[in-house]
Amino acid sequence: MVKSEAVQATADISTESADNDLLVEEAYEAMGSDRSGNGSAESKHPKWEKWIENFKRRGWILVFILPALIYVLIFCYGPMYGILTAFQDYMPGDEILGSNTLWVGWDNFNTFFSNPNFGSYFLNTFLLCIFGFIVGFPLPIIVALLLNSIRKPKIKKGLQILYYAPHFISLVVLVGMMKLIFGSDGLLDQLAIKLGGSENGLQLFLKPEAFRPLFIFSGNWQDFGWSAIIYLAALAGVDPALHEAAKVDGASRFRRIFSVDLPAILPTIVMLMILSVGNLMSCGYEKVLLMQTGGNLETSEILSTYVYTFGLMDGHYGVGTAAGLFNSVINVVLLIIANFTSKKLANQSMW
Amino acid sequence: MNKKIIAGIMAVTMCAAAAFTVTGCGGGKGSGHEFTVLAVKEETVKDYNDMQVFKDIAKETGKDVYWTFNTSTQYSNNTDPVGIKGIDAIYHSGFSNLKLNDYGKRKRIVAIDEYLDSMPNFKKILEDRPDIREALKSPDGHIYSLPRVEEMGLKTYPNILFLNKKWVEKLIDNGNMPEGVNITKEQLVDGLDISRNEFKAILQKFKDNNMDDSIADNDEVPLAFVSDNWQGNESDFIASFGLPENRQHKTLVNGKITFTVEDEKWFNAIKEMNDWYNKGLIRTAAFDQDQDTFLAKGQDGRYGAFYWWEKNTVVSKDKRDDYIVVKPLKDDDGNRYVGPSNELEVEKSACVILGTCKDKAGLLSYFDKFFEPDYSAQINYGSISAGAFLPEKNADGMLVPNDDHGAQSADDFRMQNAAYGVVYLTEEVFEKNVVMESRAKLRKEILAEHVIPYTYPGAEPIPNLNYTESELKILSQYEATLGKNIKSYMTNAIIGASVPSKSDWQKMISNNRNSIDKIKKTNQDAYDRYVATIGKTN
Repeated sequence: MVKSEAVQATADISTESADNDLLVEEAYEAMGSDRSGNGSAESKHPKWEKWIENFKRRGWILVFILPALIYVLIFCYGPMYGILTAFQDYMPGDEILGSNTLWVGWDNFNTFFSNPNFGSYFLNTFLLCIFGFIVGFPLPIIVALLLNSIRKPKIKKGLQILYYAPHFISLVVLVGMMKLIFGSDGLLDQLAIKLGGSENGLQLFLKPEAFRPLFIFSGNWQDFGWSAIIYLAALAGVDPALHEAAKVDGASRFRRIFSVDLPAILPTIVMLMILSVGNLMSCGYEKVLLMQTGGNLETSEILSTYVYTFGLMDGHYGVGTAAGLFNSVINVVLLIIANFTSKKLANQSMW
Repeated sequence: MNKKIIAGIMAVTMCAAAAFTVTGCGGGKGSGHEFTVLAVKEETVKDYNDMQVFKDIAKETGKDVYWTFNTSTQYSNNTDPVGIKGIDAIYHSGFSNLKLNDYGKRKRIVAIDEYLDSMPNFKKILEDRPDIREALKSPDGHIYSLPRVEEMGLKTYPNILFLNKKWVEKLIDNGNMPEGVNITKEQLVDGLDISRNEFKAILQKFKDNNMDDSIADNDEVPLAFVSDNWQGNESDFIASFGLPENRQHKTLVNGKITFTVEDEKWFNAIKEMNDWYNKGLIRTAAFDQDQDTFLAKGQDGRYGAFYWWEKNTVVSKDKRDDYIVVKPLKDDDGNRYVGPSNELEVEKSACVILGTCKDKAGLLSYFDKFFEPDYSAQINYGSISAGAFLPEKNADGMLVPNDDHGAQSADDFRMQNAAYGVVYLTEEVFEKNVVMESRAKLRKEILAEHVIPYTYPGAEPIPNLNYTESELKILSQYEATLGKNIKSYMTNAIIGASVPSKSDWQKMISNNRNSIDKIKKTNQDAYDRYVATIGKTN
């Protein structure tokens, strides 16, 4: 998820600069002059002419988008027709659009919504993601601002590496480490038993109330440094002259963070916020599945694990697709709301 | 030049891709064999192509069958095993009722009942045993899979309680026996008669003392089991509160489907387990370890008591005599109860034939031989020539198992040499054609003497029922959810630091009321139809 955010952010930056380019072009146009020197009066569609001319001159740059575009087409848009299976009695090997396709209408959705645990799966997903967002979103910003205001570059670099190193631990290893520390017979429980008090230790992995904190804090421990990189990049672009000027005005270090740094990265923050809200209901099932035990099922069973176990493992492909589709629809709605709100409030949006 | 480089790169990539496609999916078509059968098999099991019994069957039927293999992990990760190219059948297919129905409906697996003319043995089985015929039928009335039938009368009772006799003797020697528990050394033999409270007091002593003289004085496990496992689970403990408990918490009592979780006795059992847990008599491991970990930990004899199928797999050879069989624990009124499990001796989907098979009747005539007693026995235990049975039959004309496998344990030998799968070994076969393994016989005797007499009155396993398609859908939707909910409630209640509250249990029941009622009704309807078709089982 974080990686895709990073990609998105770079994409945003490039679109921004493209926007700037356009602005320049428009400015030229407004002044009535033409950079290429050709008289625009001869052509009937000066805008088109210019576009074609522009394309001829700089069109090769588009080649750089090509891999990304192909990737998105093949792996994101291509498989989308599979959504149709949400309305079918489907099993692998069936034709998705053929004479033998068994259409069942909204049956799969009925099965999904009438699941006695539907409410709790939905709530679990929402709570896990929203808490994850509340803790996980501001943390990298704070870290980036603090790192940025360290004066000695060596310490800054060192800390930065220290912070983002855990990002490279694989999920399986991470959960393995957590079990060694917090699991039954783990470090923490051994201590608890040795120091007396409890007979069986805390057994955090079996406690439903401990699942969310464990999940969220381990996730953030792993990723806060990595997510901060984007903000650090944005902060690197802040004009030193602004800081100089603030210093001259007698602004403290703390004051400068609020009045110079923060406003500078605000557009990045807003953009990333819109993106994370759009991903709010999808926290990924892998880590949840790894952390699931018979004891914590009450809070650890979320929509995506349901799709995995019921849909894929038990072979109810149609219901699984329906559940996934439902999740995606919620995400899209959230994305639209977030985008609309930020457009109104901060005058900034994705489209 | 640029173009040339790009063309070169493209050519190389294409070639690589082409090579990948060719090699990646290679090995599909069984080169020139009449039939290719995919079997689900672990690496440690011998190649079926080398097993004498399959060679013999092929020779007798004149069919040329080639076996290919998937490990169970490979197989379960394949979302569409029926779509694998170049195979004619899947052995150990293990499809659920719903999956059999789905594949059958699409004609991707063969309706076997249409080929009974080339299957004399199977045809006779279906005529002789209406219960098996009913069990195999899919909602549309067709039979889509070959069964596995192994009637030794063992699976209904997957738990036996064993107690560490050595440790109890030590308590007696040290005059450290709990107050009010009067057990003499002479009483410490198989079939120990003891109440739940006495048992608890003894376990408490196991917990408080360093029983195995080890340096670490906390490594003894007073009572071990594997929660929610098919064998050696906590069901018998809960049953001792007066319930027909099993892993699904669902039993047939006097023709009525009942859920044990609804009974307040069940809640009392959970409450007591919570107490045992917080006193350290049951360890957390019981709820989060798998079967293999349980077995590995038990080898050096650190279990004070445990529930399992048999003691030999749990404890290493030199410590086996330390453990004795305990009868089901007595409750306060001196009564004993055991709940029958729902593990059945007739299993569906041991083998399916694919719709793409060219000569269905031919392949089925080959599989039909599997049901003959001598072949069934060898498929289930290993070939005669491999040493699974003595080369000569006994005076009654029965196959006699060979118990001497040198350094190898009987379990390991069988794991390596037996194919399992499609067999027909009924009670009758074990009386007339095949002598039962000695360890199975031993277990049967223990059960007959110490366990079966205490079966909850009127309780029996739910037989293989014949559901309609909509019933199958209801079951698939509600059963998994209910199972998860009960399991999560149980685990939380037992390992909680505080005593489980009755209101929490009532809340759990009312939250799952809908599922319980739906499943109960579905099962009951199907059972009533079953009784109407074939009459009562016993």
